[in-house]
Amino acid sequence: MKKRKELLFAAALLLTTALLLNFASDVLRPVRLDYGSTWSAFRAEPRDSLDVLYLGSSYAYCDINPSLIYAQTGLTGFVLAGSEQPLSITYWYLREALRTQSPRAVLIEGTSLFFDTYQNYTQINVGYMPFSLNKLGAIFTASEPELRPGLLFDLYFYHTRWKEVGLSDIQRALTPAQPDHYKGYTAIDQVQEGVGIAPYVGDRKVDPQVYAENLEWLDKILALCEENGIQPIVAFHPTYTRCTRETYARIEAEVRALDPDALFYNWSEEFESIGLTPTTDLYDGGHLNQDGAAVFSPWLGDLLVEEAGLTPRPQSENNAAAWTESAARWREFLAG
Amino acid sequence: MTFLSPQFFCFFPVTALVYFLLPRRVRNIWLLLASWFFYLCAKPAYLALLLLAVVSTWVCGLLLEKQKPSARRGALISCLLLLFALLFVFKYLNFTLALAGRALNAIGFDFASPALDLILPVGISFYLFQAAGYVVDVHRGKIAAERSFVTYALFVSFFPQLVSGPINRAGDLLPQFREEHPFDYDNLRVGLVRFLWGAFKKTVLADRLAVLVGAVFAAPGDYGALQLIGAAAAFSIQLYCDFSGYSDMAVGAARVMGFRLMENFRTPFFSRSIAEFWRRWHISLSSWFRDYLYIPLGGSRRGTARKWLNILIVFAVSGLWHGAALTFIVWGLLNGLYQVVGGVTAPLRGRVRHALGLRDDGRVTSLLQIAVTFALFSLSMVFFKAGSLANALEVLSGMVHGPLWAFRSMGLDRLELLAALFGLLVLLLVDLRSLKRSMEADYLAVGRPVRWLILLLLLFSIVIFGSYGAGYDAQAFIYGFSF
Repeated sequence: MKKRKELLFAAALLLTTALLLNFASDVLRPVRLDYGSTWSAFRAEPRDSLDVLYLGSSYAYCDINPSLIYAQTGLTGFVLAGSEQPLSITYWYLREALRTQSPRAVLIEGTSLFFDTYQNYTQINVGYMPFSLNKLGAIFTASEPELRPGLLFDLYFYHTRWKEVGLSDIQRALTPAQPDHYKGYTAIDQVQEGVGIAPYVGDRKVDPQVYAENLEWLDKILALCEENGIQPIVAFHPTYTRCTRETYARIEAEVRALDPDALFYNWSEEFESIGLTPTTDLYDGGHLNQDGAAVFSPWLGDLLVEEAGLTPRPQSENNAAAWTESAARWREFLAG
Repeated sequence: MTFLSPQFFCFFPVTALVYFLLPRRVRNIWLLLASWFFYLCAKPAYLALLLLAVVSTWVCGLLLEKQKPSARRGALISCLLLLFALLFVFKYLNFTLALAGRALNAIGFDFASPALDLILPVGISFYLFQAAGYVVDVHRGKIAAERSFVTYALFVSFFPQLVSGPINRAGDLLPQFREEHPFDYDNLRVGLVRFLWGAFKKTVLADRLAVLVGAVFAAPGDYGALQLIGAAAAFSIQLYCDFSGYSDMAVGAARVMGFRLMENFRTPFFSRSIAEFWRRWHISLSSWFRDYLYIPLGGSRRGTARKWLNILIVFAVSGLWHGAALTFIVWGLLNGLYQVVGGVTAPLRGRVRHALGLRDDGRVTSLLQIAVTFALFSLSMVFFKAGSLANALEVLSGMVHGPLWAFRSMGLDRLELLAALFGLLVLLLVDLRSLKRSMEADYLAVGRPVRWLILLLLLFSIVIFGSYGAGYDAQAFIYGFSF
């Protein structure tokens, strides 16, 4: 009897410790609203409310404003991307996202096919995932080994922030996350000097073995889509940092070989047909700025409806109102 | 794998859990394999040396019991020669060659000493001393030779004490490996809180002070006298927190599994003389030198002059044990010299106290003596910390020359300093309380809510205020991998 009681107390102590550690992590981890990996806002979206998920790297979160797609088509969506995010992490993102959402289509921005096994932002990209088996998968299959202690135990990265923490951080940690109007999008209001005059065309350097591994991860993503009845779309966004046409054609063939039902689009040169002005709508050589995203997103929404055959799912009154407000907010912001 | 590495946090719970789940007859085998795995994680090649030390001293112990008295001395000497030859080759050969080279060059010979690519095996100074102590004790008839190889190998290799001690005595530890250690909640409680207390000292205090000490010692010319004196004092505290923190973690980890290791520190900074200080600082090494070097040299039995000489010899050797460099020898000799001078001037100091109306055991006398002891020890630590004699002399010179204060960063911002002060305050309170009471007994006597509170406060002080993690220049244990 005494032994059992002690065991119960030990379990209670362990549980208390785990809860307090989790709380301390929430307080000390910097808040993340944009530039990708915005998992708190994603998790706050009502369950099974998103029509489309936009995955990939910074090309996804700079170029696609889901609120404007909603305004154009009524399709709800969220950009679940990370800076320089390799496809390995994107695979685990999708798995994790599917725990709470059941999108009808997933758009994967394809530049990450050229990324290295590990890029520069694993700490953010994996670190902000909610703790789950999928996060463990990302830690042990897609993260640098030296980062694993911190990815498993947040305080390893962020405990030194104790000097910066204020009451607002504690309040934030105690308050449940709310859906925001970014929906994973990051607005950039600049145009770098000399951008949009002439595109850079040249193939990105990638080790053939790493490229083959990236294709394997893409294959896994496509298979996961198939398992869940999701229409996969692999696309290259409008950009002035392009690969050669031959490379895009080769990638299209590779994608079709992996999944004949996957849709493939190369919009890298489609500035004119989309209505983009390179000198004003690009932020840098690669990414669109907020004006570019404001043109590209509605165009993309139309394409998703017309070519992928997507129709908006019914939303609760509250959620529909939230999306309408979010769209209005962005229109107002962009008009101002 | 150190006590504060993620690997250890996986290794230790599994090792302890399996230990308690296994039948008694195989528990020691499990602990031995776990200990060797722990050691293998440092570098596989080191294990061969550990095994050589284990096998040679185990065989020597058995031989010592079987041989005639006349042959026993030969066996003992052969074994000790082997152990200390190993230590010499790996730890002192390069130093000796460099010294010889400098000496030959000084007298006109052109000799370039070769720098041999010898990596110091982890913990060699600790486990060789523990094994040497065993064979001497068997030779002296203080203990019987251990028949079981597994038990003996575990005595030398037991992972909590393998890398940085405490250097346990065979008479204390060996019998514990023959006893059953059933799981005990109190052992778990005490062991866990002891481990956390050690981690607190290491991460909140030692590694934070290391930043300040490192900044000042790296450029002593850039700082004022008070900053140099403060850095020397801070280094004494850093070393105490670092090493006693490690010892606490070792004692705590062993205690969780039911083993009691030798205590290595007994609030040394409350000592009233350097002699007393060394009875309370790194006790397992100090007592080893007392039993296996000082007493065989004659101790205090051959007159006062010989006693002082023996003390100087012991402390010179102790300095050398701490590192193969002239700075360590000077540090050791200085600590020996303090005791010689202390002994010689004891009557005079007594007369001065009486003339000033101070009682020998009065509070003022005690505080003065504690302060002087701390100051003397901290002064000697300049040689311990400095990279060279020139660097040490530069620091010491800066303490008496130059400006009192130079307005430049000492590596810690205001909040970091506050965290260090908070840690020091906690340390002071705990050490003061431990002078009169058993902290373990007190911890077990309080109610569960208070125990939980202590445990959680320690844990969260470490995980929030501790120095660890990304972007942090991890400080190895000072008495760790380089000994």
